[in-house]
This record gives sequence, structure tokens and C-alpha cells, in this order.
Amino acid sequence: MADTLTDKTSARPWRAPRLSLRRREAIEAWLFVSPTVAGFLVFFLGPLLAVMYFSLTEWNLLTQEATFVGVKNYVDALSVNPDFWHVLRNSFVFAIGLVPLNMTLALTLALALSRPFRGVVFFRTVFFAPVVTSAVAWAIVWRFLLQGEAGAVNQLLASVGIDGPNWLREPDWAMVAVIVTRVIKMVGLNMILYIAALQAIPRDYEAAARLEGASNWQIFRMVIWPLLAPTTLVIFVITMIGSFKVFDHIYLMTGGGPENGTLVLAFYIYEQGFKFFNVGYASALAMIMFVIVLVLTVIQMTLRRKDMR
Amino acid sequence: MTSLTLRNLKKSFGSTEVIKGVDLQVHDGEFVVFVGPSGCGKSTLLRMIAGLEDITAGELYIGDRLVNEVQAAQRGVAMVFQSYALYPHLAVKDNMAFGLKVRKVPAEERERRVQDAAASLKLEALLGRYPRELSGGQRQRVAIGRAIVGNPQVFLFDEPLSNLDAELRVHMRSEIAALHKRLGNTMIYVTHDQIEAMTLADRIVVLREGRIEQVGSPRELYERPANLFVAQFIGSPRMNVLPAASVEKSLSARGLDIGSAEGVGMRPEHISVVEAGSGLLRGAVTLREYTGATTLLHVALEGGETALVVHNGQNMPEAGEDVGLEIAREHMHLFDSQGQAIRPLARAG
Amino acid sequence: MTLTTRQARLVSRTCLIIALSVVAVPFVFPFLWMVSSGFKSATEIFGQPSLIPRVWRWQNYLELLEYQPFARQYFNSLYIAVAVTVLTLAISSLAGYALARMRFAGAGLLMLFLLSALMVPEEVTIIPNFFLIRSMGLMDTHAPLILLPVFGSHGVMATFLMRQYFLAIPKELEEAGRMDGLSRFGIWWRIALPMSRPALAAVSIITFLFSWNLFLEPLVFISSLEKFTLPLALSNFTDSYGLPLWHLQLAATSLAVVPILIVYLIAQRQIIESFALSGVKG
Repeated sequence: MADTLTDKTSARPWRAPRLSLRRREAIEAWLFVSPTVAGFLVFFLGPLLAVMYFSLTEWNLLTQEATFVGVKNYVDALSVNPDFWHVLRNSFVFAIGLVPLNMTLALTLALALSRPFRGVVFFRTVFFAPVVTSAVAWAIVWRFLLQGEAGAVNQLLASVGIDGPNWLREPDWAMVAVIVTRVIKMVGLNMILYIAALQAIPRDYEAAARLEGASNWQIFRMVIWPLLAPTTLVIFVITMIGSFKVFDHIYLMTGGGPENGTLVLAFYIYEQGFKFFNVGYASALAMIMFVIVLVLTVIQMTLRRKDMR
Repeated sequence: MTSLTLRNLKKSFGSTEVIKGVDLQVHDGEFVVFVGPSGCGKSTLLRMIAGLEDITAGELYIGDRLVNEVQAAQRGVAMVFQSYALYPHLAVKDNMAFGLKVRKVPAEERERRVQDAAASLKLEALLGRYPRELSGGQRQRVAIGRAIVGNPQVFLFDEPLSNLDAELRVHMRSEIAALHKRLGNTMIYVTHDQIEAMTLADRIVVLREGRIEQVGSPRELYERPANLFVAQFIGSPRMNVLPAASVEKSLSARGLDIGSAEGVGMRPEHISVVEAGSGLLRGAVTLREYTGATTLLHVALEGGETALVVHNGQNMPEAGEDVGLEIAREHMHLFDSQGQAIRPLARAG
Repeated sequence: MTLTTRQARLVSRTCLIIALSVVAVPFVFPFLWMVSSGFKSATEIFGQPSLIPRVWRWQNYLELLEYQPFARQYFNSLYIAVAVTVLTLAISSLAGYALARMRFAGAGLLMLFLLSALMVPEEVTIIPNFFLIRSMGLMDTHAPLILLPVFGSHGVMATFLMRQYFLAIPKELEEAGRMDGLSRFGIWWRIALPMSRPALAAVSIITFLFSWNLFLEPLVFISSLEKFTLPLALSNFTDSYGLPLWHLQLAATSLAVVPILIVYLIAQRQIIESFALSGVKG
């Protein structure tokens, strides 16, 4: 009888000392994760440490050398350079405009589309379509639609007697325009997350509340909304972080203008680093962005832990 | 010739020791069943033999080869899992041939072995199907077939029948017994079901909290349990255990000395009902549970304990009726204060 | 007159559909306007607005090919996206498997590190990465456009997604594989991966789109026209004054967007689910 299950070689009386099974597993595991770890060290952790260092230096474009200047770049940003606070204000205005609008719309659409009816798939498909579209294409088309007099949006408004502003040429309107078009681009993603969360809520809760005579609004306010809280928290943080890193959308729609009215942090970092080669200053800005994102993440984690208790 | 030797085998997960030193000799061709309550370590012990859990301390020999650090696939063992663990993306035939393919067995031989195994398990008609298209019993047979094709020296079964309904379980139990008779391989079988253990085993290993309580044939365990735990674990309904004091007087009246025993065990099926006032014990029937062939009587004893009695239907007492209970001397089990068995019941000097 | 329940439901449903249709306008209109304008002449674009071009100018599509090597740029985006997808699948599923199933010292710490990478935007590390890529001699090549997404936060996201999926595969199946003589690699390749098709599909979809739509990295690393990727190429249709050549730009944008939209319409369910899967894991 062929003994296929036994490895004949290892049945020899003498064996080279072999690794314990446990050791072996650990070594194999590190082999499995080694590409990820290598990439992480080279393209993430290394650069993250480098940007910390860069932020403490000044870069000489001619000699290609870095001089250590301490916290000068941070001082520049926070107290010397008037642009920084302006940019930070823009970033917060963008985030504070975008996040509530995005989340309210996403939840409203999700509530409308979480139950099956004829046409539900059509509408979900429509509202999600901009998400799969490239941000560049989206920005180009909207920039085209939002031109001063010739733009389709203003012509549409004119046809009902409204004299639309030159959207992308007036600082305040430009901010409104980039926020609204960004919301339309991204709201589908949050809508889908809300739909998934809504469909995970057992229908019995709603049925029980209805038997007790609760109105639709009461059911939403007292049953659905509290149950959605963990999802809302995740969506809030993801959307908030996403709004702080928005770059391509603004680069293509307004180029940060007019009068720096839409110059946000990510764009400012790009401009300082790659247009003006203020490497040290741009790195300090990147560190500030890092801290903002970190704080948001920590807030999420603490809230979530509290939520679990 | 494949025996297994376990020498002071230990297993710890972190700081908790789950197998606390197991010594066992499994003979060639023997059917050994590990049984015990959940959490007793029986599955862990089986998985240590399979090579799926590493051995913290001690030695494990398969044949005369030390296999502590040998990979699972090289130990010459095959395993039938509780969930069957059939690969959902492979047809039955490919499931059975998978291990052979991995071991680079030539295609014709692979084919032949799968066909042989399929024929012996009546699986021929199912070879092209996928696991999701099979019933529970069919999946179980495929899992066994997969184990057979590799010609393992030792078969390991991890609660293989626990996912089947009662009727199928009885049927598959007999199939596994027949398989063992036919192949004659060493088999180790884990279950928490004592009926399975009793019907299948040459020898049963009773485990509790990572230690062996007793090893023996089903008859030995039933007739001569080594301790209180085994006595109550084997047999159904479980053995009545009464404090020695409650029977001491009646026994000494018959010239029997209970000695140092603290507890007396009597199996419900060994107790017979006699007229009130006579017998070893007195009490009143509180509940009758009719089960068809027999009736289970709950009898409240004078001392306050309750005894279960299997009554076969003759002279059935009414609920509330006073009865006497009688049991043959050789059916009494005596236990000391540590719960260890004392034998035999001696005539008073 | 009071409405029956049935009628009431019909009315509310109709209202709902009308409301949703109104909201849908800014989601659909840009696509329609983009396609139609891509067929208009430079002058018609600023004339009386109409969704249907007066004259269908197919030559826009020939002109845009003359304006820059658009076919080449299109191909660049395609092959880079395929490369990023294949590499991400391989690397993230290997690491995801180890993190889901294997015990090794440092696993917890590694998870924590990777989680932190998940949150940090590319903008934070783009400056040092610029110097890194330059010192490697990889400026104006496609290498950074492949390496950075694979090893950046997107790759980490894919790793966690795969890990989550592997965790749900019954352990006994892999143990059966071990009993059958598979190595770890064999278990990954012949059991874990074939059973993870939905997760692999989800990672493929979001990774392909991520690479296809990538903008900041090409902008920083690529300078020659024939090495441009689509998003860069699209932003590049300007006249000598730097003003957009709308008719060409919109025709090119249509070429970039419409095929993706068609695939999306065919596989919308799968694609939407993929995004839901990647979002929920966070």
C-alpha cells in the first residue's frame, strides 16, 4: 500500500535540527507581509519622518541643500505669513459647508432609497454615477457649465428670469460653487453607506414603534437616528478628512482663485512645494495637515470606544 | 503497524494550560474514542495529534517516529472535520483528489483511488457535484472518502456526526464502524456523545479539564468506573449517588461493611421496586415519566435525596405511593471522599 | 373625499419619484451636456444653448488626437491602472492573509502602523516622496504612479478589506488544506484566494478606478506629453493664452468618462457594493 501521507525523508533516523512549527509560521507570515512592510517603510513611514525633518529646514534651490532652521517655518505659517490663516479659514469654510450638506443629502437620499420600489435601482445608479467619474472630468465639465454669461447654468437661470453670478470669478460664489459641485460628486458614497446601515436595522424595531403609535418623524428621531449613530460618526470623520485633502477638484475648477478665495490647505501645500519650491515651509504645512487629520481620527476613536461601552 | 504513544503531552494557550499531561498508548488497529464534557480538551488533544496545534511539552510518537515537529501533512494521518471542511469551489471528485494532487500522485493512480473510495462509500453518482449540492449525510461521506484516498495510517474524527440529525447519526455511526472493520486502521474519534463512544470504541478515553480520568473498554467503564466523574458521565440516565450514611444501616443489617466509603452509586437501571417497608431504601414516588419501553420513576428518599429508577412496567407504583428500593450487591459502586472508586463491597469481618 | 390606503400610497410614491427626479438633474445633466458639447464647434459652444448640436462635429475627435498624443495617453492610463490593480491584489491579499490567519510576533503593532497609514492623505508625504522618486531616477516615468498607490493608503485599505474577508473563511477549510499537504502559500493560493472572489472583485474595481482617476501624482511626477495619463491630458487642452479649448476638452473628457460609465451601468450593483464594502470596513 502506497503510503502517500508519510514523508519518507523525514522518517530517517537523523534529521538536521528543524525549526519549530511556531517559528516557521512566524517566518512565513513575515514573508507574506514583507512587500507591504517594505513599501510602508519606503513610501510612507520614511517620507513621514522626512517631512517632519524637512519642516525644520530651509531648502536652497540653487545649492540643493537643506539648512536647519528650527521651528521658523511653523512660526512663519502661524504668525508671519498672512496667507496661512486665510488658507486655513478657507479649508474650514469648505469643510463646514461641505460636510453637513453632504451628510444631510446622503441621509435623505438613503432614507428614500433604502426600501425597494420601482425605480429604486435607477435612482441609486444615478446618484452614485459621479463617484466613479474622475474628479478631473467632473471639475472640467462643471467649470464649463458655470462660466459667467455663456455657462449653461446661468442660461438656465436666465430663462426663469434670474441673473446668475459669475460663479467662479467671485470669491464667495466660487466657494459655494466648489462646495456644491463637490457634494454632488461625492454624496453617492455616503448615501450607499447609509443605505447599508439602514438595511441592517431590523424591521421589527420600526414595526414595534408603529404599533405604539409613533409617527414617521418620531420613528426616525427616536429609533432610526440613534441606531445610525455609529455610521454617522464614521461618515462624518471620513467626509471631514476627505474635505481637508481635496485638491484636484479645486485645482481644476478655480486654481485656488479668485483672489485666493478657494485656496485650501492641500492646494497651498502643492503650490508652496512644487510651484515655489519652499520645501521647508510646505513640509511644515503638511505636518499641520497631518495633525488636523490625526486629531479627527483620535476623536473618532474615542467616541467610538465610548459608543461601544 | 501504527501505534500511537502520547507521553506527558501538554498544551498551553498563553498562560492557561488546557492539556495538563496526557499519557496514552493507542494500539495498532484500535478504535479509540475521546469523550468528555465540552472544554475538557478532547478536540485540542486530537488536533495536537493531527499537527494542527503545536505541542507545548511532552512527546508524541506515531509508530516509532517522534512527530512533535513534523508538519501535519507528513504525519500519515487524515482527519474528518466536524464541518466536513469540503472545499466549496471544487467538485466532489476534486475535493477527494486534492490531497493526492498536492502530493503529486500521478493522474491515473489518483483517478483509480478516488474511484475505489467512491465505490466503497457509494459516492459514484455524486462525483461531479459541488459540496453545496449535497445533503448533510452525503457531505459526511465525501469527507470520509477524502480521508480514505490518502491511505493514512491513522484516521482522526473530530465530532463528525454532530451536524447530522438523529436518524442519520445512527446510520452513519454504523457506517463508520463498518469502515473500521473493513480497513482495520487505527482510528481516533472525538465526541461528546457517550452513546457514540460506547457503540464505536474498542477503548474509551474519558477526559476532564485536560486530564485523563479513565481509559478502558466500554464495558469496563460502565461496570467499573474508576471514579465518580466517569461513573456519572457514562450511562444514561446518570448514576444515582447517595451519601454512604443513608444506606450504611440497612447494609450492616445484612452484614455488609461499607468501610471508608463516603458515597454509594447505583445505576437507575439496576434498581428494582419492592414493597413499601422492605428493600434497601425507602421513599415515595414523586413523578413518573413514561418513555415507552420503560418508565422513569423519581423517588424521594427518606434522607431527602432523589433517586431515579428505570422501571420496566411490572407492578407500576402510583405517584405518591410509598415504595422500597432494592439493588444487588455487585451493582453498588463505592466511592471515597476524593470520589475514587473502592472495590469490592466487603463482607463485614 | 378620503383616499384609500392604496391611493394614498400611490400619491406619496409619485411625489417621491418626482422629488428624486428633480434632485437627479445636477447628477445627470453634466454628463449629457459634456457629450453633446464634445460634438459642437468652438463657436456653437457659446451660442444658443441646446442639448442637441446643430452640426455634429465628429472632427473634434480627430483634432484632439492631433493636439496631443491622446491615444498614447489613454493607453498609459489603461496599462498603469491594470498594473496597479494586479500588484495591489497580489500584495494586499498576501499581507491581508497573514494578518487574518497567521500568528507572528509584531502582528498587532503592524496592524496599528498600517491603520495609521490608512488615515494620512497623500498630500502629507508627497514632498518627501518627490525627493525619493527623484533620487531613484524615476522622475517622468510611470513607476511612481504604480508604486505610490500600491504601497500608499489605498493599498493599505485593500489589505484590510482582504483581511476582513479572509477572517470569515471557515478555519477548518484551511486546516483540511494543511492535512492535504499544502504549504502556507498553497493554502493562500488554492483555498483562500478562490474562496475570496467577491473581495478580489471589490478590490479590483476600486483600485482600477483609483488609479484611473489619480491626479496629484501624475501632476507632480510626469512632465512629458507622451507619458501623461488621462486626467493630466484632459486638463491640458488649452489655447496659446492658456484658455480652455472647450470643444476638444469636452470631447476628450467624454472619451475618458463614457466607457467607464458604460461599464458602470452594466455592473452597477457589483461596483456600488464594492465601494460600500471598502467604506464600511473603516
